[in-house]
Amino acid sequence: MSQQQFDLAEGFRKHQEEILARWVEYTLSTYESSDFFKKEKNQFANPIGGNVRIALGELLPLLIKGAGRSAYEPPLERIISIRAVQQFTPAQAVSPLNAIKHITREILAADPESKHLNGELYDFDFAVDIALLAAFDIYMQFRERIYSVRIREIKSGSIVLTDSKCPSKLLKPEGEIPMVQAGI
Amino acid sequence: MSLPKLEELSQSVWQGPSLSTGAIPTKEWMDTPVTFKPGGYAYPAKKEKLEYLDSQPGLNFPFARIWSPEEDDWLLPDNWKDIILKGLAERLDKFRSLKIFMDCCVRCGACADKCHFFLGTGDPRNMPVMRAELLRSVYRGEFTLAGKILGRLAGGRKMTVGVLKEWFMYAYQCTECRRCSIFCPYGIDTAEITIILRELLYSVGIGINWVIEPVSNSTKTGNHMGLQPLPFRDNIAFLAEDVENLTGVKLDVSFNRKGAEILFVTPSADAFAEPGIYTCMGYLLLFNALGLDYTWSTYASEGGNFGLFTNNEAMKALNGKMYAEAERLGVKYILGGECGHMWRVVHQYMDTMNGKTPANMEVPVSPITGTVFNNAASTKVVHITEFTADLIKHNKLNFDTSRNSHVRATWHDSCNPARAMGIIEEPRYVLDHVVDKWWEMPENTIREQTFCCGSGTGLNTDEIMELRMRSGLPRANAVKHVVDQHAVNTLACICAIDRATLTSLVDYWTPGVTVCGLTELVANALVQKGENRVDMPEGLRTMV
Repeated sequence: MSQQQFDLAEGFRKHQEEILARWVEYTLSTYESSDFFKKEKNQFANPIGGNVRIALGELLPLLIKGAGRSAYEPPLERIISIRAVQQFTPAQAVSPLNAIKHITREILAADPESKHLNGELYDFDFAVDIALLAAFDIYMQFRERIYSVRIREIKSGSIVLTDSKCPSKLLKPEGEIPMVQAGI
Repeated sequence: MSLPKLEELSQSVWQGPSLSTGAIPTKEWMDTPVTFKPGGYAYPAKKEKLEYLDSQPGLNFPFARIWSPEEDDWLLPDNWKDIILKGLAERLDKFRSLKIFMDCCVRCGACADKCHFFLGTGDPRNMPVMRAELLRSVYRGEFTLAGKILGRLAGGRKMTVGVLKEWFMYAYQCTECRRCSIFCPYGIDTAEITIILRELLYSVGIGINWVIEPVSNSTKTGNHMGLQPLPFRDNIAFLAEDVENLTGVKLDVSFNRKGAEILFVTPSADAFAEPGIYTCMGYLLLFNALGLDYTWSTYASEGGNFGLFTNNEAMKALNGKMYAEAERLGVKYILGGECGHMWRVVHQYMDTMNGKTPANMEVPVSPITGTVFNNAASTKVVHITEFTADLIKHNKLNFDTSRNSHVRATWHDSCNPARAMGIIEEPRYVLDHVVDKWWEMPENTIREQTFCCGSGTGLNTDEIMELRMRSGLPRANAVKHVVDQHAVNTLACICAIDRATLTSLVDYWTPGVTVCGLTELVANALVQKGENRVDMPEGLRTMV
């Protein structure tokens, strides 16, 4: 048993970089014009590409380790906070996470030395499932956050930049232009 | 175990409408029509607001009507195409810059990845080169020989309703921030292409309410909120009272006072909405400490000029109001508050648009330091930040930076003052003197390369909040970096739209960060004679 686990760990060690690169590539491919997102490495010039690269880079070793939901949350928040405000359906927003199962299988299967490991990925799949479920919760947290931001903005007074119903406006019928200078 | 293949998963991701256009991303851009869905567009201009503006002398806002971007039929006038093409022809003739911008782009792509809308959406039509191409393709197809003969082979196309809808979508996914223009080897100002697109759209009655209502209100009463003189005066008076309660200093504030040396004009949001009101309290405290001979106007009660987002005539009229008031009151010059596009209009367009300032106005001279602001010789308007920096340079202000000990600040270069006007060193100089320490965001996100708040040019409306969060991502991403690295808790800036919209942006991306104006921090730290301050752990925001 310990020998098998070592083999799987070895397989991941050997292919982790390639798996991550394909996972990042796959995730960024969900954007209509993604060449720049894939190429530019500076995370401030390329916030989507940079954050996806950082988040998935943190998440992959945690999934391999089966670190648990609370460990997955920070990198998931980094990536889902972005996808929650882009025009993805909820499934589209989280589905790149699920892709790691298939990417891992394809890469392991392509190498004769690691091909046999595909039958041993139950724990890894389980970790991905946990992360995916957490991602749905996180997606909803950020959707709720954006609604509360919108409400807060309306309540804050910024909304009066145009649509205010301030007392002086309510007192006057629309169209009347009182330009009283008295007392001023 | 049966698991779907990766390609099938991709299919499930791609099926249905794509990112922001509603298109399936396999066709060429000219073949992918835009789709408008709730949350994806700002509400159309209200019919009565357009009618009011159209009734005003010198303004032209025709074809007011009730319409919806989601409907197929936008109820365009029968001759809409003639109006658009004639309007484009007139502008190509009138603005040499537009003609050059239409002809000289070599599609090098230097601008493509510099736009915050592209960086936040991945939508190719948000690349500045592509946004310009929406107009350029019509220019080629309708105005150039090659385009007329070769059509798409020469990158040309005919003007259609579909093209018009595309213009409406993408002219309102650009904040005219000009970040792309500093990377263009030919100096193409894509913001001016957006300006022309919006002008052409208004010529057939297509616009958004968040722009048109402030323009209407400013035309009618002098400020975005439509506030009449008495409430405007009262609100400033309330803020002055708050300052007095906090500092124990009695303030002398005047309104519409003829013969004052200086007219002070700032965005009306500073007088009414958080967090701008704290900046306004800062102005009041600072001017009082200086004993400045200044007055407010209840008619030129708005620095902001949303006319810039409609057409040249409205922009000119609103800018002219400040000077009409400066003439009526007989002031020597205008001191301008922390505003964004007010400065863009004054600095870039006013000279050729409005012409000479009233005869009573003089080249601004600081009454405290004697500094002559020759940079404002033609416009006669001095920016509050250069005014304050000059005061500090001449040791005219005393500060106790410990009064800002609750502040761990970073600096956001607001697009218009920084990129369009060059106010880059002055706020940093001021900041150096009023806080113990502050932290810069990464180099490629500040100064001339600053990222827009994502909500300028009238896009600061709540119905497109998600779009604003996407377009503000590059800015927020840099803010998050200094929050994580240096525990920054304050984002300071000199723009009223920034103060309002960055507040929502950081509420989403980095909750806990406060947005403030520069003069708020100046006034927090200001030590003045006769003061009797209460304990102010949050500076001017302290509740008494």
